[in-house]
Amino acid sequence: MSGAATQPAKQPSAGTKPQLRALLVEDNQLDAELVLRALRKNDFEVSAVIVQDEAAFVKALLAHCPEIVLADYNLPGWKGMEALNVIRRQGLDIPLIVVSGALGDVTAVECIKQGATDYVLKDGLARLPEVVRRALREKHEHGLRQQAEKDLAKKADELARSNADLEQFAYVASHDLQEPLRMVAAYTQLLSERYRGKLDGDADKFIGYASEGALRMQVLIQDLLAFSRVGRKEGALTNLDCKEVLQEVRQTLAAAMQESGAVIIPSNLPSVWADRTQMAQLFQNLIGNAIKFRGKEAPVISVQAEKENDHWLFRVADNGIGIAPEYAENIFVVFQRLHARTEYPGNGIGLAICKKIVERYGGRIWVESQPGSGSTFKFTIPIPVSTPEREAGK
Amino acid sequence: MSTGHDLLIVDDNPADVSLAREALKTCAYKGTISSVGDGVEALAFLGRRGNFSNAPKPDLVLLDLNLPKRDGLAVLAAMKASPDLRRIPVVIFSTSRLEKDIARSYELGANCYVGKPGNLTEFFSMMKLIEEFWFGSVSLPPRGE
Repeated sequence: MSGAATQPAKQPSAGTKPQLRALLVEDNQLDAELVLRALRKNDFEVSAVIVQDEAAFVKALLAHCPEIVLADYNLPGWKGMEALNVIRRQGLDIPLIVVSGALGDVTAVECIKQGATDYVLKDGLARLPEVVRRALREKHEHGLRQQAEKDLAKKADELARSNADLEQFAYVASHDLQEPLRMVAAYTQLLSERYRGKLDGDADKFIGYASEGALRMQVLIQDLLAFSRVGRKEGALTNLDCKEVLQEVRQTLAAAMQESGAVIIPSNLPSVWADRTQMAQLFQNLIGNAIKFRGKEAPVISVQAEKENDHWLFRVADNGIGIAPEYAENIFVVFQRLHARTEYPGNGIGLAICKKIVERYGGRIWVESQPGSGSTFKFTIPIPVSTPEREAGK
Repeated sequence: MSTGHDLLIVDDNPADVSLAREALKTCAYKGTISSVGDGVEALAFLGRRGNFSNAPKPDLVLLDLNLPKRDGLAVLAAMKASPDLRRIPVVIFSTSRLEKDIARSYELGANCYVGKPGNLTEFFSMMKLIEEFWFGSVSLPPRGE
């Protein structure tokens, strides 16, 4: 069967055949001729260099820049498979095809294992063009894949770096901002204490505004600091019983619960693989909001979870004032507030922190709500594939 | 009540030094208050070198950590390594709440670590607490020249 018969698309017409730079490792001149003829017959314009020892091979490898190496298995002073090591040492990625006389199956498999792309017997050279084509195609695809992987790794790297920069920036900025602000806050407060009623009404008012502004900014900076810390500190992950976490949160929120008459109804809370402080903060912010944004009735907050495929789906549902759907995404953005500070206090950091915590574990958080009919915050926490026990030693 | 005590404040922020002075005015503190703005000056003051040859030997040092030239920890280490200075109690007074700063300060022999409060009321009451404790309650090391 000729190459033309197997590849009818590649009709022999001079000038349309693809170029091929081949490097032959072959001690038998006649065999080399046969190999080249097989390639040239219908398929390639071959420019070839023929060598039979390592020194000449290295030289040709660098000078000829072959796209393919065709190596005899047995040479008088060298082994064709050695060529593979030379190629690797040079940091090159060139497919090598073993072209040999009788080659046992075991040896052939061994060659492939060592990295030869394929092997062709000398009495079956008609196969050679197709084998070469496939080797070149595979190399091309491999190159594309490698490039894609490299690009992806680079992007991931850039993203990680830019994230780290951003968090570092937020942390440094909030730390360094605090210093001068502390002075503004302290001295405006000193002014207002020492000179109240001694200047005039306007002065008292102006100093009061400046002082309040400084104090509020201090809180904002502390919030920002807390927000940037969520990603910075790698807390210890443990197998956490959410029932216990919720119990802690109840204690933290005891005063607010008592004042509002809030009731928390937990059900079916699982253990998750997470950091205790962060999970507590997550529940605390959500439940705290449910209490803060309550309606006319005392807050009833249900906290439940169910297993869905590879994650737990948590629901924190309340009977509060609810949220219009058009704000459902805004509320998770840092410092986004829907209400005047005089209506509901706060800086708009709580849900942003919740989102950051959930996303740190690879989960999602969202809200389902209508104004006047309560809100249900839902979030997912993935169930790790690895067993907790395996990581427990960390 | 305190009379005749000498306090050294090491802080590069004049506004903070002034705030401390204001706070001490509202206390019963009757002693002197000296202040220097960096770590090198602090050690010159304590060693009575250069411009500080007539400086009093302080009974207490209020030491900020974040200082130009030589930082607070370096000053603390130098003091605690010096037979002449190691008895002087050092109160670290810093905005840093970092665990490593706190731990390192005690390792180097700080007598206590106090975080600088963010607002005026707390700042004043903290200064009052420091004044009452160190100049009212504790027995300071004998001055012996």
